[in-house]
Amino acid sequence: MDIQLKRGLLDVCVLAAIKDEDSYGYKIIKDMKPYIELSESTLYTILKRLENANMLTVRTAEHNGRLRKYYRITQEGTKRIEEFKQEWNEIMSIYKFVTKEDDGDDKA
Amino acid sequence: MTKLEFLFRLEQGLAGLPKEDIKERINFYGEMIDDRIEEGLSEEDAVSEVGEADEIISQIINDTPLTKIVKEKIKPKRRPSALEIVLLILGSPIWLSLLIAFFAVIISLYASLWSIIISLWAVFASFAGCALGAVISGAIFACFGNGLIGVATVGAGIVLFGLSVLLFFGCKAATKGIILLTKAMLLGIKKCFVKKGDAK
Repeated sequence: MDIQLKRGLLDVCVLAAIKDEDSYGYKIIKDMKPYIELSESTLYTILKRLENANMLTVRTAEHNGRLRKYYRITQEGTKRIEEFKQEWNEIMSIYKFVTKEDDGDDKA
Repeated sequence: MTKLEFLFRLEQGLAGLPKEDIKERINFYGEMIDDRIEEGLSEEDAVSEVGEADEIISQIINDTPLTKIVKEKIKPKRRPSALEIVLLILGSPIWLSLLIAFFAVIISLYASLWSIIISLWAVFASFAGCALGAVISGAIFACFGNGLIGVATVGAGIVLFGLSVLLFFGCKAATKGIILLTKAMLLGIKKCFVKKGDAK
């Protein structure tokens, strides 16, 4: 897959993983696992990028006697997910057009 | 490998990066390992699931811009003394020219790599041009002049054309290879800066 496209998709995936409740690194990876494999290094880069773009905020909290970072989605981040859904409608209609002939629609 | 060993290797491998960045990375990977252990994995398994330390180091260096690495490298660890400043200024004719030479060498290396590509494509273009010329001139010669020599020239043109097709694929592969090589060079240069002189 095109690198730029994949990068954009992964950003939205991570935002979706924290959209309902605050989450932490390992939980994000676990939640995404059934859909897409993500390495720790890639997740780190994405989280940094999203933080710099003000799409999420980070807070450190104590958990079982150690520190853990929690990520919370911002309004900007929620907006990005909505934008993505909108874009995807456009992409799906292009996809339908591209694969039109394969489905045998041309025979009709 | 234990968690501490893993984090220590990470710290060693990233030694040339800004201190803040290293600390953040160490905390991030430490948290990842702790969360796995909490879930019931043994320390050994948790570490190996997070990944190969050397691979992670390479990826991090690849993701860090060269300018950031060089900036961290040349940042003085403390305020220079007056004597050092004087020496720095007096020595500028030497170190400044050495610095310029260093970058000139890198740029010329890069330029020579690209000139190889250009010359390869020039050879291809000349083969293709000769093939076209030989076929056309041979055909004219065969019709209006000496038939035998004309046909031989057309034949030579066709052979040249075949060679140029082979050259085309060769050039394409060479271009791809050199692009990969320049990428590897960049990673190599970055690693030179990141690895401390005293690191094993």
